[in-house]
Amino acid sequence: MSSQATSTGGAAPEAAPVALAVTGISKSFAGVHAIRNLSFVARKGEATALIGPNGAGKTTVFNLVSGVYGVDAGAVTVNGVDVTHMPSRRRIGCGIARSFQNVRLMDHLSVLENLLVGQHIRAASLTDLLTPYRLFPNHRWRQEARQALADNGLERYANETVSGLPYGVRKRVDLVRATLAGASILLLDEPAAGLNPSETNDLRDHLNLLVAQGLTLVIVEHDMHFIDSICSNVVVLNFGEKIAEGPLSVVRQDPEVRRAYIGDGEN
Amino acid sequence: MSGYLTGVLVVLAFNVIAAYAVYLPMAAGQLNLGIAGFMAIGAYGAAFLTNEYGWSMLAAVPVASAAAGLVGLVIGFPVLRTHGIYLALATFALGQVIAAVFLNLEVVGGAAGYTLSAYAGPYVVFAAAIGVVLVMLYLSRTRFALYLTAVKSDPTVADLMGISVRGVQVAAFALGAMVAGFGGAFYALHYNFVEAQHFNVLLSVFTVLYVLFGGAQTVWGPLAGAMFFTLAPEALRFGEQWRYAIFALFIILFMAIRPQGLITTSLFQGFRRRSNEASP
Amino acid sequence: MLTQQIINGLMLGAIYMLVAVAFTLAIGVLNFLNFSLPGLFMVGGMATYGFIRIGWPWFFAIGGALFLAALVSLLVERLAYRRGEGAEADVPLVSSLGFLVLLENLMLVQYGSDQQAFPALLPDMNLRVGGLVIGIAQIISLAISVILVAWLSWFLKRTNAGRRIRTVAENRETAQLLGVNIRRLVPQLFVASALLAAVGGVLFAVNYQQVSPWMGEGPGFKGVAAMIIGGMGSIWGSVIGGLLIGFAEVLSITFIGADVVNITVYGLLLLILIVRPQGLLGKPPAREKL
Repeated sequence: MSSQATSTGGAAPEAAPVALAVTGISKSFAGVHAIRNLSFVARKGEATALIGPNGAGKTTVFNLVSGVYGVDAGAVTVNGVDVTHMPSRRRIGCGIARSFQNVRLMDHLSVLENLLVGQHIRAASLTDLLTPYRLFPNHRWRQEARQALADNGLERYANETVSGLPYGVRKRVDLVRATLAGASILLLDEPAAGLNPSETNDLRDHLNLLVAQGLTLVIVEHDMHFIDSICSNVVVLNFGEKIAEGPLSVVRQDPEVRRAYIGDGEN
Repeated sequence: MSGYLTGVLVVLAFNVIAAYAVYLPMAAGQLNLGIAGFMAIGAYGAAFLTNEYGWSMLAAVPVASAAAGLVGLVIGFPVLRTHGIYLALATFALGQVIAAVFLNLEVVGGAAGYTLSAYAGPYVVFAAAIGVVLVMLYLSRTRFALYLTAVKSDPTVADLMGISVRGVQVAAFALGAMVAGFGGAFYALHYNFVEAQHFNVLLSVFTVLYVLFGGAQTVWGPLAGAMFFTLAPEALRFGEQWRYAIFALFIILFMAIRPQGLITTSLFQGFRRRSNEASP
Repeated sequence: MLTQQIINGLMLGAIYMLVAVAFTLAIGVLNFLNFSLPGLFMVGGMATYGFIRIGWPWFFAIGGALFLAALVSLLVERLAYRRGEGAEADVPLVSSLGFLVLLENLMLVQYGSDQQAFPALLPDMNLRVGGLVIGIAQIISLAISVILVAWLSWFLKRTNAGRRIRTVAENRETAQLLGVNIRRLVPQLFVASALLAAVGGVLFAVNYQQVSPWMGEGPGFKGVAAMIIGGMGSIWGSVIGGLLIGFAEVLSITFIGADVVNITVYGLLLLILIVRPQGLLGKPPAREKL
């Protein structure tokens, strides 16, 4: 398994090791190709962007990697482990967590409780399950979740029920929840969508900090400035196929990329 | 304590236990319309073990409720492949089948019913109900309760967070069945008589109504619902005949006005906010 | 002997079929498991009985009972369905169960909990065909059931109103975009399904010549089972399911005993729900989008 990961990424001697390797994956829904023979790698401690026009299949890639759908062909390797046939529930244990384009928080739970759910994979023993953590205000899992909220300037929302919060706050909580799984790879689906400029700046700083700490990010995003300031590598999708890959400054000159984006308002 | 009051409180105790049996799976998003079937397993189990084998109550009750839980566990796996209305109907069918099986079991008296010789007094029943409430309160402070809500709220995301959705669902279902069996066992031991006809759909339905009335969002809802529906009719002294008609009318109007139930999380949040403002 | 039982099963199945179609109309189009329908079935039988007892001619009595059932169903629509739309899925279901309990207990207050003898409306005539005995009431109720269901199926397939209903069943938003007035259509559907259930109740009373406040529970719940077995939302599925349940019931009574009916019928339902939840003729549910 690990040999596959190194063979995919071991080209340049100075390149960081491969964290996530997607090798020739395909998926069709009711006979329509959503993703066709897609390969790319995300390297440890780097941010990789996944861009493309609407409907190019970016979120589908996340769904295939996280296991919401199974692939029709190809393989997905996470930190050297082949997860292609692993149930979605187990994949987070290999060190990969994700956020959601449409903010999928548990509406009836408070912000803090949502974060506690995010910690599950690190608190999965029977003792953790049956410890009455709510009886201890300073229980370590609660402390950790509160700290994470404070780090993101969200502490005043800790006990609010999620359904009543503004979109921008929920979007940020969704991201914090993904980080609390302790995963080394984060798939972030349009993390900046719906945020105001100052929130976007904070988010950029936060993500750059995560990268500096050695986390691997894969980001789906439309905001090219945002991508430019975080991602060292960009994979461009169109109609489920990879049409270009490389640094943003290079791929944006690519004629096929320009053609894919004509009329899309970008570039 | 007067005999009348004791009688009412015993009924209350049974209703509270039954309400929590419905509440556990409901917290995980399952409408169990067959809870009476699991009560029947507990009731007949305790009756059979004390009668035929001379077991003491102390041994018979846990075994009988474990048997109900086990049936819940075994049946829960296939039945919980279904969701929503299908699940409600599957549990409904299950309840009917279980009651019908006991109706046909001649070892436990069949349609004529089954008389017990062991007896659990009112204080034993009260202790059992209080025990159930305490266990539920304890559970509500744990991650397990959190995951019940998570699984109900968004199973896809709960799964991606690494939670075994199936495991949580089956656990909630089986634990609910166990609590129902526990209540059923004491029911048999207290009244010294069981008949399959008692464990019918309406018993399941009324129990579900307690919980929905009280509210399934918090652990206090089932208690409030069971108390209201046991004590209010006594206090108001409706004619015996009108009791259920008024009960039903009340449920309909209440559901139309406050479908989320009496006691909700936002209610608690309101209290908390007020007390925070009072003492900053 | 066996042929006779098959005929009896057919008669019983025809009544279950009516109830199942009533359920399937509510669930297929409105996605509402309307547990007040067994109550409306009972209202059909009990109210007819009540009106006859106060001296109404039988056809007025039946008309009055059907009218009453339709009226109650509009109340169900108002209080259980419409109010529960934004709430959790369980709420309208439970509220409709509340209606069942309410109707049963109102009848109990009025007429007591005992079985009441329903007068024979039709001459006690039997057709004898080669050793088989078929009651005239049986034939008439079978005919009425079949005609009603066949007409409904034709109506949904061939008329504009029927097409509108099927569009709503497929997709609410699309239907609204196409200009279907859902606010008006929904009460009409409630009335239609109430009438089907109540007709079932009248036929049951005429056939078995007894009524009680609880008469809706058995046939009503078996109607639900029939609908599920046939496939939710499919009229012909309900027909098949109804007949299957009718046969299963009659055959288990004949060969095993009356007490095992619930085991056979609900065991069958449970099995279908586990093995093939969409039923015999239903479509599998659509999958979720992330």
